[in-house]
Amino acid sequence: MLQVNGLNVFYGAIQALNDVTLEVQEGEVVSIIGSNGAGKSTLLRSISGLNRPRTGEIKFLDETIVGVSADKIVDKGISQSPEGRRIFTNMTVRENLQLGAFSRKDNEIESDLEKVMDRFPRVRERLKQSAGTLSGGEQQMLAICRALMSNPKLLLLDEPSMGLAPNLVTEIFSIIKELNDEGTTILLVEQNAHRALEVAHRAYVLETGKVVLSGDGSDLLEDDRVKEYYLGG
Amino acid sequence: MNPAVEIQKPSLLKFWGSRVISAIAAIAFCAGIQSLGGPLADNEFLYRIIVLSGLYVTLAVSLNLINGITGQFSIGHAAFYQVGAYTAGYLTVRMFSTQQIGEVPWLILMCLVGAAAAAITGLIVGLPSLRLKGDYLAIVTLGFGEIIRIIAINIDEVGGAYGLSIVPKIQSPWLIWALAILCIAVCRNLLKTAHGLPFLAVREDEVASSAMGVSTTKIKVTAFVIGSSFAGAAGALLAHYEAFITPDMFKMEVSFIVLTMVVIGGTGSITGSTVAALALFLLPEWLRGLKEANGDALVVSAPQLLGATLAIIAYIALARRVRDHYHGKPIQKAGFQFGVAAASLVLFFLFKAVFAQIGGLAGHEGWEINSLRMAIFAAVLIVIMLLRPQGVFGHHEFSWAWLKSLFVKKKQEAS
Ligand SMILES: Nc1ncnc2c1ncn2[C@@H]1O[C@H](COP(=O)(O)OP(=O)(O)O)[C@@H](O)[C@H]1O
Ligand SMILES: [Mg+2]
Repeated sequence: MLQVNGLNVFYGAIQALNDVTLEVQEGEVVSIIGSNGAGKSTLLRSISGLNRPRTGEIKFLDETIVGVSADKIVDKGISQSPEGRRIFTNMTVRENLQLGAFSRKDNEIESDLEKVMDRFPRVRERLKQSAGTLSGGEQQMLAICRALMSNPKLLLLDEPSMGLAPNLVTEIFSIIKELNDEGTTILLVEQNAHRALEVAHRAYVLETGKVVLSGDGSDLLEDDRVKEYYLGG
Repeated sequence: MNPAVEIQKPSLLKFWGSRVISAIAAIAFCAGIQSLGGPLADNEFLYRIIVLSGLYVTLAVSLNLINGITGQFSIGHAAFYQVGAYTAGYLTVRMFSTQQIGEVPWLILMCLVGAAAAAITGLIVGLPSLRLKGDYLAIVTLGFGEIIRIIAINIDEVGGAYGLSIVPKIQSPWLIWALAILCIAVCRNLLKTAHGLPFLAVREDEVASSAMGVSTTKIKVTAFVIGSSFAGAAGALLAHYEAFITPDMFKMEVSFIVLTMVVIGGTGSITGSTVAALALFLLPEWLRGLKEANGDALVVSAPQLLGATLAIIAYIALARRVRDHYHGKPIQKAGFQFGVAAASLVLFFLFKAVFAQIGGLAGHEGWEINSLRMAIFAAVLIVIMLLRPQGVFGHHEFSWAWLKSLFVKKKQEAS
């Protein structure tokens, strides 16, 4: 579904991604783990068209999407819940969700909203509330709901567990699992390696912009290097 | 799963109800402005500023669409005002006499022409600069405002530095206010309907907006072009009302005053821009007209001035303390603020008395209020900015529902 080939991304002179190659197949959860500054967000931003790679190729459904503008990429079926949630705090929850469906022109938005709300009853209760008044966990759920509102074929999640209490982290990961079971393909970026590997079919380890390791999620959980560096020994 | 909260559309009655009320109020208001000309016939000055304040409402509200609602820091609004004024004025001079058309329809046509000219200019300036991040837009628009002015100075065809006189003079007070109301209505609709969401989203978070598939450049350019075109239409009306325009009427100060109106009113609040435009346009004019009871120019003495300055400083300091450290009911807070204001007034008389004792100061002849106009204006702005940095209205808006809630007690919600 998604192929990334030899991707190089720079911020000025800093190279954030170095020859990154990976792929996501339809129906998978693929996790990317790596410590702070490894380039995980840069990768997702490049896929979403928010960063322009210097060289390399990104193909989605066999179409190249490098250089395609961010709004067109949403149209093609990729949507992202960005790092730090970035919900619109001065707007209502409902308005946030409407913006999630911004690129759509069909008339199924309302019924999709219903569907998404059925999955996230906690968000439904707060539809009229200002998004800024939501708790951290609710804001993260809203960010995921908002990304789902574009009806994506591929969902990009950037550190959805960041800053959440352990029970909420568990909830978020079970939601990821459920969404995937229902057919959404997910590319997940996480610092919480243990959870991310558990939920993933396959995973990549990113270190200072390079893919240093890849394999099945369960295999990486057993890998000595991963154990030492990312799972706390 | 949770039937308590349904996803509902606003009721049609409510939707059209408030719009019909607004439309009727708007027509009544424009008619009122027009007919004020009769009773105020012997106070031409007053009528003139009432009429012209409508232009500033248009300027402030349209700049608010760019700066406040969409969050792009544009500071050269006078340029678009000027483009509209000169384009429309020039066309009238060259073409009106050859047309078989009434004055007011022609003026409306010129508004459209001025708006179009300003919109095209806005597109030319906005397209390249709105792509850039940060303060580039501010720099570009500031420079552009000056360039347009200098171009006008150097084209003899439009009168150069001397200015362009426009024949015929077409004064239409109701049209000036109709434009202001139209501008308010357009912005208001943008804010309150789904069309406006992407504009607000761009202001809040550009990255998140583009991640949602909002084309941020398109939204910014749209806001910029709509805002510019209203300024252009206002320029056309100014040109025909004054029948004489000079490049000096579109100096940087005009842009700054309009920007100040937006900031003081509360960036993003249409109500705020409207009220601030009226207040800040009328304040200097009102000060200009102040006279002693016997008709002499009002003179402020040195002790008075020094006393007022110190009292204002004391007022700011006290009011800020009350605002930041006192958490009571709104009514109690208001009471405290009132107390602070009263205390500052007492301080003023105290300071004044003290300064009057100081040799030399009392002997000074003082200053005419007229020459202090802009200083007083600036002082008012400083006080507001220090006490309420989010602007007087913040993000709040006037609505009929709010007005109703003042008079009709809310029914207890069934729980
Ligand atoms: N906007 C930016 N400007 C300059 N450098 C950046 C920017 N964003 C990220 N970087 C740098 O790129 C590298 C990768 O960052 P990022 O993709 O955010 O990592 P991660 O998401 O894995 O924490 C880091 O060295 C970071 O400092
Ligand atoms: Mg990151």
